Amino acid sequence: MSAVLLIAIPLLVAFVSILSKKLAPWLLLATPIANLVLLFLVPTGIVVIGGFQPPFGISLLLDTYSFIALFAVNALVFVIGLLNVKEYHQFSSILLVALAGLNGLILTNDLFNLFVFLEIAGIAAYLIAASNKKPASVFHYLVLGAVGSSFYLFGLIILYAMFGTLNMVDMIEKINAATVSASALILPFFLMFVGLGVEAKLLPFNSWVKGVLGSSNTMSGPMFASVYAVTVSFVFGRLLNNLFAFQGNLLVVVVAILLLGIALGEAMAFSSKKAREILLYSSIAQASVVILLFVNGLVLWGALLAVANAVSKFVLFYVVTKAQKEVGCDDLDSLQGMFQGNYVVGVAFSVAALSVIGIPLFAGFVLKLGYLTELAANANWLAIAVILVASLVEGIYYVRMLVKLWYPGEKEVKVSFGNVATVVIALAAALLLVFGVYRGPIDNLDNTIDSVSEVIDLG
Amino acid sequence: MKKLFAFVLTIGLGVLMIFSLRANTLFPEFGDVSIADRISALFLDKSVNGDNGDVVFGQTTDAEDGAANLVTSIVVDYRSFDTLGEVTVLFISSLGVALLLGVAGKQKRLALNFKPNFMLRVGSRALFGIILMTGVYVILHGHLTPGGGFPGGAMIASSILLLYLADDEFRTKVKGFKVLESVAGSLYVIVGLLGLVLATYFLQNFLPTGTVGDLFSAGVLPIVYVLIGLKVGSEISGIIDHFLTEGDLA
Repeated sequence: MSAVLLIAIPLLVAFVSILSKKLAPWLLLATPIANLVLLFLVPTGIVVIGGFQPPFGISLLLDTYSFIALFAVNALVFVIGLLNVKEYHQFSSILLVALAGLNGLILTNDLFNLFVFLEIAGIAAYLIAASNKKPASVFHYLVLGAVGSSFYLFGLIILYAMFGTLNMVDMIEKINAATVSASALILPFFLMFVGLGVEAKLLPFNSWVKGVLGSSNTMSGPMFASVYAVTVSFVFGRLLNNLFAFQGNLLVVVVAILLLGIALGEAMAFSSKKAREILLYSSIAQASVVILLFVNGLVLWGALLAVANAVSKFVLFYVVTKAQKEVGCDDLDSLQGMFQGNYVVGVAFSVAALSVIGIPLFAGFVLKLGYLTELAANANWLAIAVILVASLVEGIYYVRMLVKLWYPGEKEVKVSFGNVATVVIALAAALLLVFGVYRGPIDNLDNTIDSVSEVIDLG
Repeated sequence: MKKLFAFVLTIGLGVLMIFSLRANTLFPEFGDVSIADRISALFLDKSVNGDNGDVVFGQTTDAEDGAANLVTSIVVDYRSFDTLGEVTVLFISSLGVALLLGVAGKQKRLALNFKPNFMLRVGSRALFGIILMTGVYVILHGHLTPGGGFPGGAMIASSILLLYLADDEFRTKVKGFKVLESVAGSLYVIVGLLGLVLATYFLQNFLPTGTVGDLFSAGVLPIVYVLIGLKVGSEISGIIDHFLTEGDLA
């Protein structure tokens, strides 16, 4: 048993799945389940591939950090597959390749291998976005995504020219050993930050998000807003925490980009009247918050916030895209009163929204309290101020949205969600409630969930 | 205004690059890198798992990597996992082409804007065989000489493209390509899994590597390259077919 199976199995199944259109959807559902079981069986630590010990060859790293991300990604892909398997059955093979790519992104301990998986996951993402039937916006995304990954690659090439290694742990060791001023490394780190920033929806690089998520459907919406978002956050977090040594001017620029992202994201969400746009701008702001936590070294809180956001955004996006499909429009006015007769879905949606705002009793509150306390301990008052004001704005537009969706308008809006979807959404919301009250698992974890520095210490 | 902004941004990025790399003690001048203190030095010496001494063409036997072609030894042995990833990149691209351009029901060829004559058709058939065999040769000798699965597969696909361009009636069996693509891809992963089972690690070589320079050497490398060649050839051929056919409304 080896963690490489988490990548190899979806890949093998994807290759096989193109032979039978009938079997492919079943394979899509079985594979994430198999991965979830495997995840608990495989040992943690460095996984060597090809028999060449690191820093030679390619290796993977499975620790608590990647375990959390893998669990979230595989579970979410299963759920999204389950809810869309009938309508989007021709996307089964693509989702399987995407799963392999995302698992690879999370697991890999090699910076070039990371680029390869970024390509796989990226191309899969363009195809998933193609299900929106808005070719121009997908093309826009394709161009931005390709330029972004080239930036990452370019930064990596410079690092490779400097240190002659691609293994992440080895690279970090060599950077630590090289006694040079941080300014010598500004360019590669900045290029890699920009490259990943495109996928992570950070502010100046995220012009694709509106076109793709603004016209998303029940498959592409949750895939981008939860699965891709959580993966990219974790990958970004790993690099930010261990590799990128942001200091001086570069740190100021990065923090400014992130704070601006939070502020503008919430402002745009506030001024929007379309349900999907509100959610997508809110995800842009949340993505910036997560990255900001990673930049400040709050690994645990960043990771948990990314997972909590993934669960909430899955519920929010699925409900809104489903309603949009049935009503044909996602203006809040035309969806008015859609929760009348859909009480379970309505409650679950409200739980997810309130958790994103950070109301007590929901998971979002525990997290917000946690990371604000840590930021206060670091005397990071500017970040706290921006996050608090952002939460207030967030609270206003989410509550406005909830009121709209609960209270019936002049026209009766009928949306049927089906039993499976209702149960799944209710379970996801229940998770947010449980972790809003019971914080045992969180207390047992700390920043050491990311074990790269331990691996380096051990040599 | 937008164009001017883009222009300024591009110039700015260029200036940033020049200033941050010029006189940067970490960034070596072109040609100044000492290969001895890079990890790639051990790839060249085939000495990653212990020093194996000098590698001599036609004499060294049972090296940790048996490929005479250094590029192949890195691409398909030391970093084979990346290559599996690249194969997947092509796979999902062809899936995407099939998803976007594929049509259910009856299909017909896109018409050429000239009528191919008899000589062109027969001549291209003759060339087809030569190109195909060159492709097969390049794939089979990928571990010895420059070439390998990717260029060889592209050659095979180009021979198919020739038939498509020289004959407006020609269609291949796309279903066959799909089966080949699927089987070749699956076998690559299975070779990797066999490494996990028969040896210790995923994608580890589990066959004897023979003498460096022999046709039958380098363990699983030639097998993997044949699979890659078949997969690349069938995938690109499938893409060509999708581009040159359309739904038949009649």
